[in-house]
Amino acid sequence: MVLIPHLIALGLYALATALVLAPFAGLRPAPRGLTLGVPLAGVVAHALGVARLTPFHGVAPTLSLLALFLVALQVVSEGAFRASAVGVFTGPLATGLIGLALLIGFAPAAPPPAGAEPSPWSILHITVSLLGLALLALAFAAAALYLLQFRELKAKRFGQVFRLFPPLERLDRLNHLALVMGFPTVTLGVLLGFGVRYAGGAHVDAAQVVWGMLTWLVLGWAVGVRVVRHWVGRRAAFASIASFAAVLLVYLALKLSAPGTQRFL
Amino acid sequence: MSIAVFGVNHRTAPLEVRERFAHAARDVPGSLERVLAAGAGGGVLLSTCNRTEFYLNEPADTVPEAVWAILAERLGDGRGAREYGYAHRDRDAVRHLYRVSSGLDSMLLGESQIQGQVREAWEISKGQAGPVLHRLFQSALLVGARVRSETGLGTGAASAPSAAVTLAGKIFNRLAGRSALILGAGDMAELAATCLASEGVRVTLVANRSYERAQAIAEALGARALSLDEAWEHFGEADIVLTSTAAPHAVVTWERVASAIARRGDRPLCILDLAVPRDVEPAVGQLENVFLYDIDDLQAVAAQAAAERRSEIPAAERIVTEEVERFWAWYGGLAVVPVLKEVRDRLERTRAAELERALRRLAHLSAEDREQIEHLTHALLNKFLHRPTVALKEAAQAGRGYGLLEALKKLFDLERPDGG
Repeated sequence: MVLIPHLIALGLYALATALVLAPFAGLRPAPRGLTLGVPLAGVVAHALGVARLTPFHGVAPTLSLLALFLVALQVVSEGAFRASAVGVFTGPLATGLIGLALLIGFAPAAPPPAGAEPSPWSILHITVSLLGLALLALAFAAAALYLLQFRELKAKRFGQVFRLFPPLERLDRLNHLALVMGFPTVTLGVLLGFGVRYAGGAHVDAAQVVWGMLTWLVLGWAVGVRVVRHWVGRRAAFASIASFAAVLLVYLALKLSAPGTQRFL
Repeated sequence: MSIAVFGVNHRTAPLEVRERFAHAARDVPGSLERVLAAGAGGGVLLSTCNRTEFYLNEPADTVPEAVWAILAERLGDGRGAREYGYAHRDRDAVRHLYRVSSGLDSMLLGESQIQGQVREAWEISKGQAGPVLHRLFQSALLVGARVRSETGLGTGAASAPSAAVTLAGKIFNRLAGRSALILGAGDMAELAATCLASEGVRVTLVANRSYERAQAIAEALGARALSLDEAWEHFGEADIVLTSTAAPHAVVTWERVASAIARRGDRPLCILDLAVPRDVEPAVGQLENVFLYDIDDLQAVAAQAAAERRSEIPAAERIVTEEVERFWAWYGGLAVVPVLKEVRDRLERTRAAELERALRRLAHLSAEDREQIEHLTHALLNKFLHRPTVALKEAAQAGRGYGLLEALKKLFDLERPDGG
């Protein structure tokens, strides 16, 4: 069964999101065991659902896998960085993605023709690329939290953002780590994609290649200024947000030029 | 059977009086000895800058006088101590200690230092506490820990110096190992520096208009002394700057520190201006990656935390009430055992005496018949005592045993050695 684990994960992600957002509505923050445990339980249920997605084909499985990576990274951020506020972004996003996947439906409208099912290399390409994308989304979330906390600290506003968001330096480190891990992962995903393409396993438009390379360069710039030029803090956060925005814009542009639910890209 | 507390605290006595009542650790056993000699089964003396309290088990009627006399001696000017004091007994005494250990009775609501002070008092008085107070203090520490973990009573920085730690902690990931520069020699800066040092911040430089004064503070904090004019360059290195000079105008100006701060690149700088009037020109706070806070900001953070703590009082009081009942049930049960034993012993002696008298009159009975009669008397005694024993134990466990126990003592005349 694919549907039931996905529904359980949807419920748990929604609950985890509510737990993260509740203190912003003036409610008492949930104990750490809950902010860690609920999404973790969701990840376990979700992973069981994703493991049964065969054939791995179409937009819905891809959205589901992306949501899984996002929440898994949210759990890691809370566990290793005590940054549950990351869930402010990843929680609603993952809940929305898995909800959208359920709406689209996991059963492909037109199953791939015999002999054209995704190869293990193709699945590896998708998995690695989505993990890279999730890491970039985490870098974006950490950068956005950084800028919000920075603004509150500069403006001397000691409200919920001040209280509930992690310290600036911790957010900066999380952003740095997610970015430097995300870029090589995305690069590996792209290389695997080329391999799959030249092995004849998938069709890729020239526009996809060109825009993909440009996006990759923007990402490389964001990582470069951090690693080579040692940007930290606000400048690095802006660079990270700009690079993730580039990824999103290019994806949306490509998707709008070739709509459909059969392929993620 | 009773527990009592006699003492003074920040609500009932001014600082000048509390200072004199305060006991150093070495004085505690002597004062306790005197109180125990007046008639008490055990005692613990809790003495901090905000309270001096004698917790006593089974205090005789003469004990309060002994306590007030010890404290009056410390005043040393003929004034009585009783007018500053209070007394709580039984459940109220237990509740009082639990509120103290939870920080509910502290001057700064929810402060955690009191937990360590309660532990220290218990450890110093261990030899004189006795089993009941031993258990009471052990449970008080657990109640304090429970209140802190289950409510938000101890969260946030509820004082201006600790707010300095909170603010710096929202900029830096870890405060341990950060370097701090202190400008001026105000008390508030020293307090805040102590708070930061307790988090692992290294005070590396102290600058003051008077170099000698800077040297004195620097020595105390293990730092290097500077003159004020030498300090501006160090804005490029320190992570935290605490200012508290007595200057009538801003001494930290944009012109003096902007170039040093520019050298920092993207590294943040936290400036805590604790002086009134302010030491730091507001323009300095406009510099990129400079986070400037004055005393009003610190007080705003502290007031917010204090308000949050106040909202946690009902939840903390509920835990205290629950734990008082739990302790009282244990205490009631503890008192039941010796009384029941005494009742049983007394009835057993009566049974044995009456049986012996009866058997003397029934000399013709066989050994087997005698044994049957003895068995009958045992069975009757057990049957008669069973229901009252169970009822008393149940009442004690529910915390209602005290009245029944007193009634039992009276009915069986247990106060006298032989019961008449």
